[in-house]
Amino acid sequence: MANYISRKHLSRRTLLRGAGTVLALPLLESMLPAATAFAQTAAGASRTRFGAIYFPHGATMSRWTPGDEGKNFTFSEILAPLEAHREHINVLSNLMHPLAYGPGGATGNHNRSCSTYLSGAFAQSGATPTLGVTMDQVAARKIGQETPLPSLELMVEEASLSCGEGLSCAYRNTLSWQTEISPLPMQNNPQVVFEQLFGDGATPEQRDARREQSLSLLDSVTEQISTLDRKLPSADRNRLDSFLTDVREIERRIQQAAARVTDDIAVPGKPTGIPDDVEEHIKLMYDLQVLAWQTEITRISTFMLANELSGAVYPGSGVRDGFHTLSHHSNSEDAKARFALINRYHVGLFAYFLDKLQNTPDGEGTLLDNSLIMYGSGMSDGNSHNHDPLPIVLAGRAGGALEGNRHLVLPSGTPMSNLLVTLLDKLGVEQESFGDSTGHLTI
Amino acid sequence: MLRRVLLFKPSPLALALALVSAGAGQTVFAQSPEFIQEYCVKCHNLDDYSGGLDLEGLDFAHAEANADVWEKVIRKVKAGMMPPAGQERPERATMDAFAVQLEQQIDSHADLHPAAPALHRLNRNEYANAIRDIFGFDIDAAALLPQDDASEGFDNIASGLAISPALIQGYTSAAMKVSRWVVGDMTATESSKSWNAPADLAQDQHIEGMPLGTRGGLKVTHNFPLDAEYDFSIRAGGGFNRNTNIKTIVMLDGEELTVPDLRSFRLPITAGEHELVVAVMDMKRPAGVNDIYSVYNVAGGVNTVEIIGPFNPTGPGQTASRERIFSCYPQSNDEERRCAEQIAVNIATQAFRAPVTLAELEPVMAFYEQGRQQGDFETGVQQALSRILLDPRFLFRFEEEPADVAPGEAYRISDLELATRLSFFLWSTMPDSELLNVASQNKLSDAGVLREQVLRMLADPKAQALVDNFAGQWLYLRALNDVTPEDSDFDENLRQAFIEETELLFGNVIAEDRPVTELLTADYTFLNERLAEHYGIDGVRGSHFRKVAYPADNPRRGLLGHGSILTVTSTASRTSPVIRGSWILGNLLSAPVPDPPPGVETNLDGDGSVVLTSSVRERLEQHRSDPSCGSCHSVIDPVGFSLENFDAIGAWRVKDGDSDVDTSGVLVDGTPVASADDLRTALMTRSELFVSTFTEKLLTYALGRAVEYHDMPTVRSVMHAAEGSDHSFTALVMGIVQSPQFTQRIKSDPNAAVAVNTAQ
Repeated sequence: MANYISRKHLSRRTLLRGAGTVLALPLLESMLPAATAFAQTAAGASRTRFGAIYFPHGATMSRWTPGDEGKNFTFSEILAPLEAHREHINVLSNLMHPLAYGPGGATGNHNRSCSTYLSGAFAQSGATPTLGVTMDQVAARKIGQETPLPSLELMVEEASLSCGEGLSCAYRNTLSWQTEISPLPMQNNPQVVFEQLFGDGATPEQRDARREQSLSLLDSVTEQISTLDRKLPSADRNRLDSFLTDVREIERRIQQAAARVTDDIAVPGKPTGIPDDVEEHIKLMYDLQVLAWQTEITRISTFMLANELSGAVYPGSGVRDGFHTLSHHSNSEDAKARFALINRYHVGLFAYFLDKLQNTPDGEGTLLDNSLIMYGSGMSDGNSHNHDPLPIVLAGRAGGALEGNRHLVLPSGTPMSNLLVTLLDKLGVEQESFGDSTGHLTI
Repeated sequence: MLRRVLLFKPSPLALALALVSAGAGQTVFAQSPEFIQEYCVKCHNLDDYSGGLDLEGLDFAHAEANADVWEKVIRKVKAGMMPPAGQERPERATMDAFAVQLEQQIDSHADLHPAAPALHRLNRNEYANAIRDIFGFDIDAAALLPQDDASEGFDNIASGLAISPALIQGYTSAAMKVSRWVVGDMTATESSKSWNAPADLAQDQHIEGMPLGTRGGLKVTHNFPLDAEYDFSIRAGGGFNRNTNIKTIVMLDGEELTVPDLRSFRLPITAGEHELVVAVMDMKRPAGVNDIYSVYNVAGGVNTVEIIGPFNPTGPGQTASRERIFSCYPQSNDEERRCAEQIAVNIATQAFRAPVTLAELEPVMAFYEQGRQQGDFETGVQQALSRILLDPRFLFRFEEEPADVAPGEAYRISDLELATRLSFFLWSTMPDSELLNVASQNKLSDAGVLREQVLRMLADPKAQALVDNFAGQWLYLRALNDVTPEDSDFDENLRQAFIEETELLFGNVIAEDRPVTELLTADYTFLNERLAEHYGIDGVRGSHFRKVAYPADNPRRGLLGHGSILTVTSTASRTSPVIRGSWILGNLLSAPVPDPPPGVETNLDGDGSVVLTSSVRERLEQHRSDPSCGSCHSVIDPVGFSLENFDAIGAWRVKDGDSDVDTSGVLVDGTPVASADDLRTALMTRSELFVSTFTEKLLTYALGRAVEYHDMPTVRSVMHAAEGSDHSFTALVMGIVQSPQFTQRIKSDPNAAVAVNTAQ
């Protein structure tokens, strides 16, 4: 019986050690999940890191949009913290998300702001939440398959539990959809994220031992599933199949992760939990993304700074109002100015992330050079719940595919999906259209 | 009484009497094709296609052949929505008779359709409950597993419980962690856990459950992993002895701690759960001094308790989980394997919710051996447990198909499978040993035994899961945690009181086995001082909740007067008659109104560029004057208007701003209403709509799948069977657990192509 484990276990380990390049092995390819099968993880796939960062409730646009256009533009009040990174910044004006408008009241509108952001698709009501594959996941199918984690999904707040207006909470709780019916849960606990990246345990030795244990557990479960199958209804067998697919995917990730953490990258101490202080929490989530990109445990991440309808208070912004409450500024200039302080505060934390990327060497340049990051919201004015024009900034040079230092004023009402499909171009994942796009942007 | 007869047991005579004079002297019978021609097909035909419905050419005499369509018709007619206002409408009694006849036709030919839900996996909450039941160990599932998304209004719907790589990773890491925790993990390194007071928790008063004489504070039950030392760090606003009149007290398991500095200290603690209380005593000021304690981060009150550890562990200790696991302990090496087998069988029988043999546990014992070789006996047991917790038989609720039933045929599920369905329905967790025993002996399918078990289970504290999970989701109590009313009277204490009140009312209906309509009509409620003040009810003192009879002529009564529902159906800044109206129609009457058509302006608050001087009612009336809006809003708005005496956080009002509140309106069936009381009376006049909705929701929750048109005969028969008890909660539960939907499933066709619609 003991043989049962060690035999399976050994054979696979031996294979891995002997093989060198895991993905070159046909046998292992057949063990990869379905999602991998159609991906061409060929040599030469882009090493550009992609991040999408989201803040809810829009911004005080009059204090967000730069007053002048083109190269060497003047940074606006809200975007001023990014000025130090001018050469890596593009501000895009006049983008809109038409499908974020929809039937229903304010709550549904908030849900749609979030769900449309990366999907360019319409959130449907009904038993099975149905949206569309998000742009980050389209990229992950191509450039995420040769990394241990295809992508990383992060949030700061707890997931919302009930979301109103017949729309599933899935629309509000994540930015990333792997398929049109598979929302990917976002993680807000830094400790859990650390484990996703580096494994469970306080020391490298402990992490190695537990990685081995989890692999043998998953091996054993894989073995068992074929015996369970026989007496089950066909639909249940299907569901068990997808379970098995995901079991194999996790095995694949664990194996790859083991090889990924090399001696020249110092893995910091494991976080002890969710920090009380929201600023510390946001910074820690940014730190983890830097680590994940640096180690190439993943090249793709999505990050939600706060949930739609969040009542968060940011002491560091100097404003004491709740985030969502203040977004309903009733067009009072005073309230709009205070709301802008929250926007600027968030941008300041984004600058913290860019600082870290800029200070991390990668290839011949910096990690920021080799990154493409979209920072923005699915809402424009939080008071009127519109989605035009959206506050959007791009950071990073996408490995040379993108210039910087520009304020690009697009034609009014340019579909946001045109930007999403263009970002895919920049990541080397070219396709004709995405979501409700009507064309590509020349940026 | 006549109406009741018409609705539930229409005699042929009653039907024959249901004549109606239609237009120019001609008389048609409610059940005749002419009737449908006259009142339905004029709009619902292929040309006009009103509401996307074509009734022309459907065979009314064989309604069962198009039950999917006719069930929609029944719903609209019973709700009084069809024929619509403005069209010629027969007497309500005639329309009722028409609906009843359709129901009878469908029910008498009902092909009971025990369609099974997709393969259920445990949701996060059920997972945590199962761990609690097996090991006597509480986990924070939110820290271990990804969140589950709700659909059909509930988070236990099989098709909505997605499987994702993150879930598998969560299950794997949870299996390893939980197994280490329950055995006692001597390799554990320190981790921190912070317990925070909600930001707007007023701490000026005594909080229920806290030591007498204190105000505010935090009470946490913390699970300490090992016999070891732990660091405590406590942050409280103003009470750390800087002022001799204010004293912060810290109590561990009821004993006040005396340490040099309460802000930060280290203590040796035994493994297992301990209760830590931190609260403030003010020696000088009486309770209720808002300016000091109302918001903790300003001056007073308790902010955070952080526990870090373990340090210098000395052993796994004597914990409840170790007692449950180590039913034997080897005295020598020879006894180890046998004891490990005993432990594995014992735990797996519970986890898999069925008796297991040693032979089936071969993979589990392989992990015991692996762990034993790497460490000691306990390491072996821990690894065996990790394998049990990752076993698909634990994570999924399998129901096997018998070989001797033909595809497409219905069959009774096994008693053990029934026991699992029952316990996940009533308890949100696995069966206990008694239920498992009864089921193992194949006695559960006996109606008397089933009844006995259901009664026992409803009386068990674990039935609180029905309140937390069923009522909590159906009545949007969970959503209340997400709302952020702008009213300065609203704070965390009021939020918690709202939730508590509604939970207690629902719990009371279960515990006292009251008719479910009492949820609408209760002339009593559950209040503490804070909530009673909010409602303007005198004579309730203190933080604890108690049953209070409403004073005569009090406008509340039942759910429609609960702050929870009134708040969750308002926007942050004002009431919303539209949200309230559609919430009641959809959630209490199963008569959901469609979403607004695309492109329609639904924002009544403007873009903020102009100061709005009109009332919400005026703006809505303007909105209704547009015909494309009016057809639905004339149905929705009057329901909401009747509750306008309750503001956006459920407090009573007679003025909205400067203008008088106008509560008047006419319901879709022509009933005039001008108050919450009128609305309640109207709902109770046709209480079968509410009961039917309740039954549908409960059936959805019980089955973990959407209730479809082919389930409606069962919904009606469950209601019918419960009439004798005026639809008491238990009677409805009994009807559901005995229904074919709950006790049977249909053999699948192994050759059929399977539609991949199971959330992955």
